[in-house]
Amino acid sequence: MNRREALFSLGAMVASTGVAASAKEMKGYPTHTALSADHLPKPRMGGALRVFTDETDRKTLHAVIDRLIPADAYGPSASEAGCLEFIDDQLAGDYGAGTALYLQKPLHPENEEAIMGAPQFLSTPRERYDSGLKALEAYAQATWGGAFHALSPDQIDEILTGLEAGTIDLGAGVNGQAFFELMLQNTREGYLADPIYGGNRDMAGWKMIGFPGARYDYRPYVERRGEALNLSPVSLIPND
Amino acid sequence: MSAIQHIAFRITAGVVVLALIGGGGWAWKTLNTSRSAVADDQVTLAEFTTDDEDAIARGNYIMRLGDCAACHTRDAGEFAGGYQVGTPFGTLVSSNITPDPDTGIGTMTERDFFNAMRHGQGSKGMLYPAMPYTDYAKLTDQDMHDLWAYMSTLTPISHNVDEDAGMSFPFNIRLAMAGWNALFFDNSGFTPDDTQSPQWNRGAYIVEGPGHCSACHTPRNALGGEIASRHMQGAVVDGWFAPEITSNPHVGLGDTPTEDVARYLKTGSDGVAFAAGPMAEAVEDSTQYMTQDDLLAVAQYLKSLPGSPAVAPAPIPASDTAMQAAAQSYEVNCSACHGLSGEGIKALAPGFAGNHALLSENATNPIRAVLVGARAAHSHMLPTGAGMPSFAWKMDDQDIADVLNYIRNSWGNAAEPIGAAQVSEARATLGARDKIIWSEAPSR
Repeated sequence: MNRREALFSLGAMVASTGVAASAKEMKGYPTHTALSADHLPKPRMGGALRVFTDETDRKTLHAVIDRLIPADAYGPSASEAGCLEFIDDQLAGDYGAGTALYLQKPLHPENEEAIMGAPQFLSTPRERYDSGLKALEAYAQATWGGAFHALSPDQIDEILTGLEAGTIDLGAGVNGQAFFELMLQNTREGYLADPIYGGNRDMAGWKMIGFPGARYDYRPYVERRGEALNLSPVSLIPND
Repeated sequence: MSAIQHIAFRITAGVVVLALIGGGGWAWKTLNTSRSAVADDQVTLAEFTTDDEDAIARGNYIMRLGDCAACHTRDAGEFAGGYQVGTPFGTLVSSNITPDPDTGIGTMTERDFFNAMRHGQGSKGMLYPAMPYTDYAKLTDQDMHDLWAYMSTLTPISHNVDEDAGMSFPFNIRLAMAGWNALFFDNSGFTPDDTQSPQWNRGAYIVEGPGHCSACHTPRNALGGEIASRHMQGAVVDGWFAPEITSNPHVGLGDTPTEDVARYLKTGSDGVAFAAGPMAEAVEDSTQYMTQDDLLAVAQYLKSLPGSPAVAPAPIPASDTAMQAAAQSYEVNCSACHGLSGEGIKALAPGFAGNHALLSENATNPIRAVLVGARAAHSHMLPTGAGMPSFAWKMDDQDIADVLNYIRNSWGNAAEPIGAAQVSEARATLGARDKIIWSEAPSR
């Protein structure tokens, strides 16, 4: 192809692009807009716990989360707000199964932790709770000679503080610091997530921080700076 | 079932009785085709050619006014038929109206074409009144000649349609339609009203003739005949309510300026209401192609029609407990698009304040929109065709009734209250899902 032919073909290309660019009208798309089931929220339906079926595990977690968020003048404790049910429900589903996580070997912890900025695991969150809670109970028995849930608040705080600082070794391949972070994160989520997921019961978490909930639009309020709006919180699916 | 299917259902139900009457004695008047003798009876559509581009262009316009494509264009190609009209008595299929001699209407002469369009007498026998020959009867000779010229330019498509093979006995006996015609078919052409302006008469011609607006907007009796005393005063058609389009100021067009009615037909929205459902199709395939003069004429005529006695009731007071709860529900769920004052979003989402069709006593459309969503017409002027999402998953029947009562009784609106039972019935009919149930009960 010489230069002239190349220019001609370029011109033809532009011309054909011009034709292709004329809009084609979409026809016959569905008028119904209902969301398919996999796009809708999957709330907690009530009923018995599904993951924390071991009584000791359940009591240990109950004791931990109520020290992370104890009842006080601002609101109920984490367990009173339903965080145990929330965590149980999440661990029973895709989150607990680590569906979104890469869980295959090989694992080089030092490299991956540096790259990701956080410890990486081959176990699912459900497995980490199982091993972590059992390790906590074993630690309490070995250190204080009693069940974790029976320890005093100060004793529990001492253990949790040590876990957070990385000064307590839970052994048995359990990263105590990371397990503390996991429980803290999930407890916060349970306290502040929409109540349809089992936590934030009676929207106590939202009332505590003054969050008005799942409202679609805040434009009526953006200009009202510094004013106590006293908006009552709204769940994504209000239960009347 | 589409709107047309629903009408066909009613009409076919009427035929049960009329199959008997029809056998006895039908009025000669309804079968008289003598006024269509002006059409040629020699040259078939497949043979016919014309170089009269103006006539073809005018015929194209008549095709748009009549919205032929709505029923005759489906998957088989343009005007190749195949639209299935389901009835409890069997399935009717729209015919192939391309000039194909074997499977279309290529062997029809212009006279045959006139007889089918204006008198309901097709090449295979009497037409079923799902085909609105009852309105097309008003088409002038000139418009029919032009439409014929246009039809001759269509690409012949070979697509065999057996229109009534799916109809069970006795509904597959086309002669029975003669009985129906004797009762309900006015086989006369359009007669201008000399006391009215030319514009009004032009509007009347389009509305009552090619536009066949009354096919949906006029309620029908048990035999499928239109109820003349309630002409254009609104009718339920297949899960939608074709609202009143008369001079009634409360639920009709009486309070809407002529220009806005024209804008609705041209763009799919008058700035407040939006066409959806069957009317969206009518805008997309038909009314958006109309000239501004014709649109204004249609609007003027509709606004002159006698309205129903519907008047605004006393609105539900804003102090009502349910209204106050619904005000928050409205703000949370609806206001982002429809506005805190029901003002909507220009060219995108309907406003509610002063939206007269919304205030019809029959609340089928708003209930439907909340339950299964809706999609606005997409026209050349307003191409978005914005969607209303379904709220079935997060609102129960009482929630929906309450928020609709709020919408229909705020910002100057006033309408009859809707009960949860109405919403419940619609939820079942439309197959909408139930509200998602959840529990925050402690597990221990």
